[in-house]
Amino acid sequence: MNEHSRHAAAHPATRDTIFPEQAPILLHEAFAGDQHIIRLQAPEIAAHAQPGSFVHMQVHPTLLMRRPMSIMRANPKAGWIEILYKAHGEGTRLLSERRIDELVDLIGPIGTPFKLDGYRRRPLLIGGGVGMPPMIFLAEHIRRQATDNQPLVILGSEVPFPFKARPSQILVPGLPAEVIAGMPLLEDWHIPSRLCSQQDFPGCHQGFVTDLARLWLDSMEPRQHGEVEVFACGPTPMLKAVAQLTAEYDLPCQVSLEEHMACAVGGCAGCNVRVETETGPAMKRICVDGPVFDARQVFPQAG
Amino acid sequence: MLAMDFCGLHFNTPQVLLSGCVGFGEEYTRVKGFSNTDVGAVCLKGTTLAERLGNEPHRLAETPMGLLNAIGLQNPGSARVVAEYLPKLDFSETRFIANLSGSTVEEYAEVTRIFDDSPIDAMEINISCPNVKEGGVAFGNDPDMSARVVEACRTQTRKPLIAKLSPNQTDIANNARRCIEAGSDALAVINTVMGMAIDPEQRQPVIGNNQAGLSGPAIKPIALLKVHQVYQVAGPLNIPIIGQGGVTRPEDALEFIIAGASAVGVGTALFYDPLVCSRINSVMVDYLKRHNMTHVNELVGSLQLHEPATSVCAN
Repeated sequence: MNEHSRHAAAHPATRDTIFPEQAPILLHEAFAGDQHIIRLQAPEIAAHAQPGSFVHMQVHPTLLMRRPMSIMRANPKAGWIEILYKAHGEGTRLLSERRIDELVDLIGPIGTPFKLDGYRRRPLLIGGGVGMPPMIFLAEHIRRQATDNQPLVILGSEVPFPFKARPSQILVPGLPAEVIAGMPLLEDWHIPSRLCSQQDFPGCHQGFVTDLARLWLDSMEPRQHGEVEVFACGPTPMLKAVAQLTAEYDLPCQVSLEEHMACAVGGCAGCNVRVETETGPAMKRICVDGPVFDARQVFPQAG
Repeated sequence: MLAMDFCGLHFNTPQVLLSGCVGFGEEYTRVKGFSNTDVGAVCLKGTTLAERLGNEPHRLAETPMGLLNAIGLQNPGSARVVAEYLPKLDFSETRFIANLSGSTVEEYAEVTRIFDDSPIDAMEINISCPNVKEGGVAFGNDPDMSARVVEACRTQTRKPLIAKLSPNQTDIANNARRCIEAGSDALAVINTVMGMAIDPEQRQPVIGNNQAGLSGPAIKPIALLKVHQVYQVAGPLNIPIIGQGGVTRPEDALEFIIAGASAVGVGTALFYDPLVCSRINSVMVDYLKRHNMTHVNELVGSLQLHEPATSVCAN
């Protein structure tokens, strides 16, 4: 036909990495503040998900667009995944009405997960609102690795937490004694957690997640900061504050982002955000280039 | 039954994946079960001469049975598309069509020249992008400018050229005629319909670009009528149409072919169901068998209009 080569050397490694699944609902639990946890039987997604991965969910067959949802837990052995969501719009409200055994159309897992090669031994995980799930997933992953890591999870919410907080039995040096409320699941995994809110929730730190993180950092010897690495997911103002904090203490920080999404496979460029790269500004796709980015790329002006 | 010739190109099926929905051709192959072999051609993302970063977020908003988008022609520039993206494509699986855009007539011509010297199978001339300040729909809504752009591209290539027409104009059939006269080998009908979404609490448009292009089932009736109108001009001249706009269910594809389209574009439907193309193929084959047809070509333009009423009175 013409002199140009028309044969690709090899198909890209990205082929067949996202699995479509019709996932039965195994559990669907409602919490205060219109929050819900849904457990779905999705063996392929559970087997391949990594901390930071998300699924693209057809929340209801009558809605044209799917919704991207972070994976909170994945159990490869039992073949299920868990998702926490807040019913704040039409789609998530329709999802909240769906019952056990109904099938939910999913594609996943999607996204570039957190980079966890040789992470520092004191990982600080910060989750705000519906940004909590990836932090839970990451915490479970860290626990499975069973090394001498000393993680700390700080969660923030302005609506009641989607679990019954209980006083933590794990002492974290440097934190105020009255800030004692933790997440039971993390407690069961022997991972210390502390909760923050501007609301007057008992045992919680009254203030921002970054305020509590700062207290913790300030209680350390400065040389110990070299052992700290931060992972965060939550609303943009929170992520910006985290980026500023980590820039101030010169800590590595990865953040997970969200944006309106259409295809979620890298095809439509609808979810792109501006990031700074070595070669200048770029608009990167949150779905496949992210959702996890280096905080300094997303908030270059921080610090 | 579904394999066909389109402007001298072999199409596996009458389906075409639409520009802007499938990146530079490989993105949907991430999904297990999706295959580019299910479609006749894949239109790559709109490409300009130089790199463009595109619009700031939000670029998307869902509307009832529709999707507003304003990406702003983000692309790495035509030279990099040819050098870095085309070598990754498997041309044995389907045909690949470049989508050309520009701010000036000269830019369109230059992008055409760059793709002419590449393995690309055909080129779609995007004179209807609603989301950029210059070129795009500003050219597409002016028949004289549309013709000038097509003529300029025609001088640069002998590969098939497909003018992508805007629905945001008064007389699309006239524009189609001008594009054919200027050398377009085929027509793509329609691009998105211009629209807006407003957040009443913020009193601001939802989309960063303020206005955007509407796609999805909401625009299907508009697209069907435009295909029907363009077919009146293009059909007698044997100029094939890629009918597109809101195809979601397999039956939608049949409607476009009946209206006069030789091939059917699938875009937003992939976001709902990434495996929709194989379903469309099965339904098409079933339909043709039920209607005793041996090839999809027999269905093209087979619309039987109602006779105009002679004595209709409302009262």
